[in-house]
Amino acid sequence: MTGLLDFWNQSLPQLLTGFTLSLQVTGLSLALGIPLGLVLALTLQSASRWLRWPSLVMVEIGRGASILVLLQFVYFGLPSAGLTLSSFASAVAAFCWCTAAYTSEIIRAGLQSVHHGQSEAGEVLGLDPAEILRFVILPQGLPVCVPTLLGFSILMLQASSLAFVVALPELMSKAQLIGSNTFRYMPLFALTAILYAAVCIPATIVVGRLERRLSRHI
Amino acid sequence: MTAGFLAPILGGVIWTLALSAAALAVGMVLGALLCAMRVSGGAVLAALAAMLILIFRAVPPIVWLFLIYFGLGAGWLQIGAFEAAALGLGLITAANLAEIFRGALKAIHVGQWEAAQTLGLPQVSRLCDVIVPQMLRITLPSIVSYAIGLIKDTAIASTIGVPEIAFQASNVSQATFRGLESFAFAGLLYIGLSIPIAMASRRIDLRLRSKVAR
Amino acid sequence: MIEVSGLVKDFGAHRVLDGIDLSVQRGEVIAMIGPSGSGKSTCLRCLNLLEAPSAGLLRVGDVTIDASRPVTRRQRLGFRRPLGMVFQSFNLFPHMTVLRNVSLAQERVLKRSRREADEISRQLLDRVGLGAKADQHPSRCSGGQQQRIAIARALALDPEVMLFDEPTSALDPELGLEVLNVMQELAAGGMTMIVVTHEMHFAESVSDRVLIMADGRIIEQGPSAEVMRNPQTERAQRFLSAVMNR
Repeated sequence: MTGLLDFWNQSLPQLLTGFTLSLQVTGLSLALGIPLGLVLALTLQSASRWLRWPSLVMVEIGRGASILVLLQFVYFGLPSAGLTLSSFASAVAAFCWCTAAYTSEIIRAGLQSVHHGQSEAGEVLGLDPAEILRFVILPQGLPVCVPTLLGFSILMLQASSLAFVVALPELMSKAQLIGSNTFRYMPLFALTAILYAAVCIPATIVVGRLERRLSRHI
Repeated sequence: MTAGFLAPILGGVIWTLALSAAALAVGMVLGALLCAMRVSGGAVLAALAAMLILIFRAVPPIVWLFLIYFGLGAGWLQIGAFEAAALGLGLITAANLAEIFRGALKAIHVGQWEAAQTLGLPQVSRLCDVIVPQMLRITLPSIVSYAIGLIKDTAIASTIGVPEIAFQASNVSQATFRGLESFAFAGLLYIGLSIPIAMASRRIDLRLRSKVAR
Repeated sequence: MIEVSGLVKDFGAHRVLDGIDLSVQRGEVIAMIGPSGSGKSTCLRCLNLLEAPSAGLLRVGDVTIDASRPVTRRQRLGFRRPLGMVFQSFNLFPHMTVLRNVSLAQERVLKRSRREADEISRQLLDRVGLGAKADQHPSRCSGGQQQRIAIARALALDPEVMLFDEPTSALDPELGLEVLNVMQELAAGGMTMIVVTHEMHFAESVSDRVLIMADGRIIEQGPSAEVMRNPQTERAQRFLSAVMNR
């Protein structure tokens, strides 16, 4: 037992460095991906097919192709098209794409939950479409999305573990690296699991509470 | 230029489907069990089930796979890559399905239980004839959309060597240095696989609905 | 003030409005009544282009819309500018205070400063008897209060014509009365109004002219008391006796 704790104690600093990188990649992907998701949510409803179709393709690929395959496509595939990205940039690009695709659907649903009479009221008051969006639809529709977006963010943190296939030194890569030196896989992956759970379980509980509170108000 | 070099990736489809089916089967059985524990197992079992559901979902799939395949595999339990992947993905699926089942149970009106009871139906018949058919109708769309997500998640099993689509794509990419085509093809395959399933589910859903609609 | 000729509206194969002709003088108060499904709300919604008319000509002031030609956004804005609209379901913005509800469009559309807009809003809220509610959110107000706020919001843009789409149908009779009182004052002040309503008393005593609609047509119209007491067509008699004898 002391052997296990000592081993955990030794590996923890390295794992934590990895975990910090996991959090950074996730945070950056969400910070870029969610605004992009909002843009896609709007262009998907646009009247112009020149906006709608490319958006639809972006979303369908981002949601339909496995995120692992997206990541490998960006890191291993794009160089042959002349675009070579570092493993960090590849991970952020792929996760951002995936985030935008999924959140576009979440945000679209949130915006559609705003009653139709609201935009009609804006219209008869003479507001233009951009003003209706800014003052009427977004302030009501976006808060509805928050719990779902947070739930999605937890899944993205978990998905960041896939960046180990492009050799990004995040938590999973660190665990794998120490494991291949010590061959003590079981305690290592157990500690890795505990680290993810230590963030994801409290976050899940908070999101659940938020969801219940929001549904009470509606 | 011939696309023949992509052929091995097609060979991965069968493994992708097999793994998805296996994980779904594990998830259905365990999920039903977890759901039963949560709703009728008494306080201790219910808390245990809630905790398991939380834990299964809080750890990324790849960590489950490595934990089972490399962790358990290092001395505790010899297990093949396919079985490890089916079990690992099955655990997460179980947790998610348990919540879907529980939601459906809540959605079935109390009156249905009471009606079954007052008709004097035996316990088994109450469950199998009255409740489960209604649950099936309610949960089918969620299960199908979960299954479609699961197909994409099986790509993660490539990291422990299950020869499914992503694994084959990776191999082809390394052998031919044509990563762009390989992974693009793999991505399209995943999208292509989900389309017939979505269509079939819509048809079944319509049929189930037309039975109860008036 | 308003001129409508040959207004037709189809929803798919279903003809909801079948050739409406109507002209409204400045200061006139018109009540549109009729059985549900007769097209009166659709007619009102076509009048401010919330529904696109399928055929016909619409004129408000000196802006004319021809339904057979595509309408540009600029034309639509110009056409709507003199029209104020009040909905059955109020449609106040729930995330803003009552004051912001009334001020927002003044700032964005009329380019008034925030101070100026707020001042006008407070005056209007006082006028509908709700000055004290200015800093609360609509959800803290009763339905009758919300509808009066909605009226103030429409008035804030200095409309020349006010359109009311069943303004009291979502309200208890008692709360509806508060709203009707405000509308009555508005009518007495010379506002041009078109009111789709089920309030027969309002139609008879407040409006100058009553239109009875059925099956997408205006089947009878004329001075209020005359039409209400002595309808000429059989269809109008049937409708009026049904609603009056309740």
